[in-house]
Amino acid sequence: MGKRIGVYICHCGGNISDYVDVEKVRLSVVGEENIVLAKTTMFACSDTNQKDMVDDIKENDLDGVIVASCSPKLHLVTFRNVTERGNLNKYTYVHSNIREQSSWAHSDNKEGATEKAIHLVKSAIAKARYTQPLEPTKVRAEKSVAVIGAGIAGLKAALSLSDKDTHVYIIEKESSVGGWTAQWKNLFMTDETGESLIKRLRDELYRRKNVTVFTNAEVVSNSGSIGNIILRIREKREEFDIVVGSVLVATGFEPYSPTFGEFGFDNVPNVITLPEFKKMIDHEKDKLTYNGNIVQNISYVYCVGSRQPEGDNTYCSRYCCTATIHAAIEARNKFKGIQNFHFTRGVRSYGKQELLYAESLQGGDIYLQSYENDLPTVFARNNKPVVRINDILTGGKELEVESDLVVLVTGMTPRNDNLVGTMFKLPKGRDRFFNEIHMKLRPVESVIDGVTIAGSCQGPKTIVESVNSALAAATKAYANISKGVLETDPQIAAIDTNMCTGCTDCISECPFDAIYMKKEESKQVAVINKTLCKGCGMCTPVCMPDAIDLIAFSNHEIMGMIDALV
Amino acid sequence: MNRKNKNIAYDALVVGGGIAGGEAALNLANTGFKVLLVEKDDSIGGKMILLSKVFPTLDCAACITTPKVSEISRHPNITIFTGSRASNIKKISDNKFTAIIHKKPRYVHVEDCTACQKCEEVCPVSVKDQYQYNLVGRKAAYIPFSICNPKAAVIDIENCTLCGACERVCPTNCIDFTMEDEEYNLQTKAVVLATGFNLFDPLKIPRYGYGTYKNVLTSMQMERQIAPTRPFHTILRPSDGKVPDKIAYVLCTGSRDVSVGNPICSQICCMYSIKQAQLLMGALPMADVTIYYLNIRSFGKGFEEFYEQAKGMGVSFVKGKIGKITEKENGNLMLRYEDINAGKLKESEHDMVVLSVGTLPNTEAGGMFTDKLELDKFNFVEQTDLMASPAQTSIEGVFVAGTASAPMDIPDTILSAGAASSETISYLIKKGQVVWEKE
Repeated sequence: MGKRIGVYICHCGGNISDYVDVEKVRLSVVGEENIVLAKTTMFACSDTNQKDMVDDIKENDLDGVIVASCSPKLHLVTFRNVTERGNLNKYTYVHSNIREQSSWAHSDNKEGATEKAIHLVKSAIAKARYTQPLEPTKVRAEKSVAVIGAGIAGLKAALSLSDKDTHVYIIEKESSVGGWTAQWKNLFMTDETGESLIKRLRDELYRRKNVTVFTNAEVVSNSGSIGNIILRIREKREEFDIVVGSVLVATGFEPYSPTFGEFGFDNVPNVITLPEFKKMIDHEKDKLTYNGNIVQNISYVYCVGSRQPEGDNTYCSRYCCTATIHAAIEARNKFKGIQNFHFTRGVRSYGKQELLYAESLQGGDIYLQSYENDLPTVFARNNKPVVRINDILTGGKELEVESDLVVLVTGMTPRNDNLVGTMFKLPKGRDRFFNEIHMKLRPVESVIDGVTIAGSCQGPKTIVESVNSALAAATKAYANISKGVLETDPQIAAIDTNMCTGCTDCISECPFDAIYMKKEESKQVAVINKTLCKGCGMCTPVCMPDAIDLIAFSNHEIMGMIDALV
Repeated sequence: MNRKNKNIAYDALVVGGGIAGGEAALNLANTGFKVLLVEKDDSIGGKMILLSKVFPTLDCAACITTPKVSEISRHPNITIFTGSRASNIKKISDNKFTAIIHKKPRYVHVEDCTACQKCEEVCPVSVKDQYQYNLVGRKAAYIPFSICNPKAAVIDIENCTLCGACERVCPTNCIDFTMEDEEYNLQTKAVVLATGFNLFDPLKIPRYGYGTYKNVLTSMQMERQIAPTRPFHTILRPSDGKVPDKIAYVLCTGSRDVSVGNPICSQICCMYSIKQAQLLMGALPMADVTIYYLNIRSFGKGFEEFYEQAKGMGVSFVKGKIGKITEKENGNLMLRYEDINAGKLKESEHDMVVLSVGTLPNTEAGGMFTDKLELDKFNFVEQTDLMASPAQTSIEGVFVAGTASAPMDIPDTILSAGAASSETISYLIKKGQVVWEKE
């Protein structure tokens, strides 16, 4: 083999070199067969080093490049592009992860970490010896996007895509668009009501010629892949297909619903949730009444369904502190004689929202704060709800407040039904909201090509934050389809139809539904859909006759890598 | 200036080369628009490129920023002017802006500089290094920082003695003291403001002793001490070079504080302090870290879990506002505070104090315009349709991205930049002036 391979070993500014002796790693590969160049570098990903790599590739006539650095999730694409700028096929690049897999994992054992890094780099060399130039699969992209969910995020995303000469199909399961926001009157940080905000967007939407709105509708099934996704829609009783280039998921959140007895919910009189309270203050006129009785003293118990010490929802719901403070101010301004008591776990009115908190304090609202491991309790006395707390702010005193109404400040939770998530195979985080690929680098993209996520289906958000995320997702969805042609990764499974026995074992194993049966000459054989296949390799071990191999992770490449590792 | 200005034209002007401006420029460029990115510093990458790791994922900031910066600098549709400022931005018709771009001389021809640092070695001048937040010194001929972009020397003419040593030693003759100010007349169709934020200056709170007590640092100085491109190889306290083992964080320094004129919450200090505390516990396993706070605001995705993780690692959290800091003879610091949990006034001794300084608006944005650009009451760029179009400003065709409009963390900044670029693309398409560059 006449391969000419260059190896770069990255310090990662100390992330690697504090634990791995990078010079020792370099020396260990110098003189290995096919290695014509081995260098260490402070930051392989820096512009300077990228330029050096391009020059090295050209000067040394390299036909294989390895960078031993961080996770390929971070920089595989970066270095493939460098290789390409050196006029090499980008698939001749091989990535070796010696940070997550060595220096970080073995920071307590520098010698062992170095030894492991050497093995990892050598296994990458073994793989690089077999790499072949590959061409990406090109697919035509439909210039249309399906937006699932027509709350504030979906509406804004749709309008933004429509602005960009893209046909938009909105699929909304309710009978009208607008989501939660449409049900709200006064919002915090603006003088506009939720109703009028949605009306403004909805009126604009219905003026657009390139927007089709389906209400009482849902996606029944999907097929195809990025650029050419076929969605089966059920609208009322009708079913039909639409074809889109990309899908933007904006399915929103569900308010947390407390369990029986949680902070007195359902077993103490006059205990309601924040959404119920907001409706009350919006609809009551001169007097605030509940069950026919005048309401004057109101207690708000924060973090119900959020930051749970025990329970699934360990996350903060982000919007509720300010939403509650705002609602309490509203109640005080609208009705006479209201006194508000806030039972918080530390107020989180971040950014400019702080002004509302200051206003609330100045207006005479009383704030109490519970210890993290000692939350307030709600019980009934004289047919009225009482909140008891050991209050940090008064030096741990046990205090009780008898009030006319207790408002449970319920947070945001993911949608109860996960039909959309399941259909598109969207991964979820520990908080059960949809997960982005990378919070900072790719915050609105899901791991499924062509499916972006926007708004509170990705995590609790305020309206402004939802709109920002919706517009960012619209930009990505547009970038997916605007050129009309898309490239997909050629590192996928390949089936040798001569060897295939048509047993269909691989089909049931494939998590992406990328394999189907086809009649070829005299027999049924399995065939790979090149745009759906992600190259995960699930199909290869179940194939009894060994008819399936992964391009770029073929059996001989893997065996070579294992030999170098052991 | 009587010299003839050069004329240039771009689809969009992006002011500010931090992560917000960079992200916006990339989004615009990737959809085929020609972008001029104007950055006042000598490197793009903003504040993020100088950070250590970023919460809550603990990704190495340099590892995320440098490839982005590299992508921006290489993009065929993006032109970058560093060391430059935009002014006199004026809307002259429905779809046209003019502006003046002033480029100050770098005294180095960037394309010829190999960043060999020979000029740095021979330069006799030593001044404080602003990119290391004054922790160490630098020369008057210097590379801004090791992962800067463009990676080229710059001459700090204010401090230069014109001795000529750098010029003589430069192997590529790229140093040129005859370079002059340049001015460009720009025509553009849209403007994205990504002018970022300033850090609060703790000299304004004398009772914390910053600037007087050597071992009182700002959080940005600590950030530099734990970054991969750090000035020392470990964490040192400035007075005597001792490795600290009892470190205090003072949250809300310059935030939520009417007395210093900043009543709002800076949104990031709780989280970056918790992050630094975790990194310090990793770097100095024997050290105690205490965070003095009013409220911990870990509100974003994964933030609350990150806070819990810090508690689990043994970071102490004390609810209480620091009243006063005094210095002992050995350089240690006495913190006087109200321990709210215990309901008592207390004192505690630490050998290093980090002030978690807040964010303030960069007030330069307003002055760049000939017509009035509305600012909010804190001098952030006013978002005139906050709910429906958060990137919109008081001038149609001018959009705002990132912390120019409000305090925000990195994930929110990226989303805000995504929103600003989305609105800009829509605007450019709507105005019917798109010239599609076929690839």
